[in-house]
Amino acid sequence: MSEPLLEVRDLRTHFFTREGVVRAVDGVSLSVDRGRTLGLVGESGCGKSVTALSILGLIPKPPARIVGGEVLFRGRDLTTLSERELEDVRGKQIAMVFQDPMTSLNPTLTIETQLVETIRRHTDASRREASRRAVELLDEVGIPKPEARLGDYPHRLSGGMRQRVMIAIALSCEPDLLIADEPTTALDVTVQAQVLDLLDRLRREHDMAMIVITHDMGVIAEVADEVAVMYAGQIVEQASAAALFARPEHPYTEALLGALPQLEDHASRVGRLTAIPGRPPSLVEPPAGCRFAARCPYAGEPDGCAEHPPELRELRRGHFVRSEHPASERARPREGVSA
Amino acid sequence: MSSTPQEHGVGLAPLRQRKERRYPTPPDGVQTDAGAPIRASSLWRDAWYRYVRNRAAVIAGVAFLLLLAYCLIWPLVSPYDPYAVDFSQASESPSLAHPFGTDQFGRDLFTRTALGGRVSIGIGFAATFVILSIGVTYGAIAGFLGGFVDNGLMRVLDALYGLPYLPFAIIVLAIFGGGNFWTMVVALSIASWFTTARIVRGQVITLKENDYVRAAHAVGARWPRVLLRHLLPNTLGVLVIAVFLELPGVILGEAFLSFIGLGISPPDASWGSMAQDGYRAYRTAPHIIIVPSIAIAYLILCANFIADGLRDALDPRTRET
Repeated sequence: MSEPLLEVRDLRTHFFTREGVVRAVDGVSLSVDRGRTLGLVGESGCGKSVTALSILGLIPKPPARIVGGEVLFRGRDLTTLSERELEDVRGKQIAMVFQDPMTSLNPTLTIETQLVETIRRHTDASRREASRRAVELLDEVGIPKPEARLGDYPHRLSGGMRQRVMIAIALSCEPDLLIADEPTTALDVTVQAQVLDLLDRLRREHDMAMIVITHDMGVIAEVADEVAVMYAGQIVEQASAAALFARPEHPYTEALLGALPQLEDHASRVGRLTAIPGRPPSLVEPPAGCRFAARCPYAGEPDGCAEHPPELRELRRGHFVRSEHPASERARPREGVSA
Repeated sequence: MSSTPQEHGVGLAPLRQRKERRYPTPPDGVQTDAGAPIRASSLWRDAWYRYVRNRAAVIAGVAFLLLLAYCLIWPLVSPYDPYAVDFSQASESPSLAHPFGTDQFGRDLFTRTALGGRVSIGIGFAATFVILSIGVTYGAIAGFLGGFVDNGLMRVLDALYGLPYLPFAIIVLAIFGGGNFWTMVVALSIASWFTTARIVRGQVITLKENDYVRAAHAVGARWPRVLLRHLLPNTLGVLVIAVFLELPGVILGEAFLSFIGLGISPPDASWGSMAQDGYRAYRTAPHIIIVPSIAIAYLILCANFIADGLRDALDPRTRET
């Protein structure tokens, strides 16, 4: 197997605030192969967006700073690049689609201007060529009558349309990697499915790699090949999507999947949805031991996981977990866990 | 393409976004007006529609244009020489021959008011332009760079804020040795750009956090492009409003300085220096002071109503609905 397209090694991004150092990303490692989709899941504030922004060097500096780790993209460490070199990578080799299409387009510029500028930023296309390419792109992302849309201002398009335009802009220079940060969260459900299908189709057609960031396990099930579950700035479980849904190992992943509403499961239709008790720990002074210990139904057994942080270990081939109590090593589940 | 009523004609972008979120548009693929001709609609066109619906602002705008036309054209076609002294007609009250009367030197006030208007309005706009240029540059740099640069620039501004505006203008005029058009512009703008700088800085900081600015960075846009393409055009609305908010203050300042004898000196006229002429004879010929005073009030009233209309047109969030 050749080396991965993107490899993040032990990335640490900290925010230096008045309240203290917020360890938003604390030792994240992941890799994406060409043509594959990695899903990055976790609840709000677990560091998944900061991870993505760190890859592109888009974190707000100050207060944030990458304090450690490497981001190897085709063997080149992006964290060591100057701002100017990074600008050439962004859009050209790695592109990003943001969460809210309502605010991600400049309201004072036409669709054409915004597409053409991005195309001309990275290629030496003439204005006319860029304009023709813009029509192709709009057509490709499924916007009807693309020529007529070119002169429109963003406010004339619906949310789904705008997200398609954002995707067109992201694709305009044929990036090798597309990072989609909650690409469907701001859209309504029917449009979500269309946008996910679109992303998946484009990934196949352009042989791109994709990182999809979401808090929605449904989105992951739809598009991801590999899944990394983040909790409190760390990856707690990493596996292929099939393996993760079939045999979740980390208590947190189990609880996340248990919290999903399910149509087939009669029991959960009758009762309330399962919630995970407690809150994620503060990232200013994270707990010394396992960060999930306070909410973990299995913690407290005499293995000291509340004192000593568990390492990410390979439980099975390709299935990594950061817990002393993965499902397959537990004798029997305790009561109160419905996963 | 889906279409909802609120997408047509009205609403600046932020308003639209709020509305669209409340009333979600039909999902993609539901084509309600696929073949319909598309009416181009832009921020400026929408603003124009809103402006013309504000009657007071339209009247003020027309009144302002009439005043401009009068000031520019009348001195060229007037039968009277605005500088010719003729004591046989001194201090005449308004009549058919002299609609505004004449001053102590027998000069036609209708012609001189137009001439003074050129100077007053000219200084007003020139000084406003200088104020905005300095203020926008200063504010945009501070807001865009942020961090310690912003901090430093803003502390300097805080210190400058302590400077009283009129004494400062008087000192500048004293240094230059009296008033002509350009020294007046310098005197009036040198200590008046602080507020503009603060407004622009605040705008830029707010806009900088916008998703489309982040998105522009994410596709590799360099910072000059981000600043010129994404940030400043979005502050334009605020700047247009600022012009008409700043203008009355500057014109009043000019009138005041000329009135106390520091501004435009005879035989040239501005409305302030004309009022000063009239002040000496306010018992015997009150029209000499009343005419330029009304002209100043008229202009300021227009500017205020225009500013009001522009604010509603360009920033509909401020309007009560």
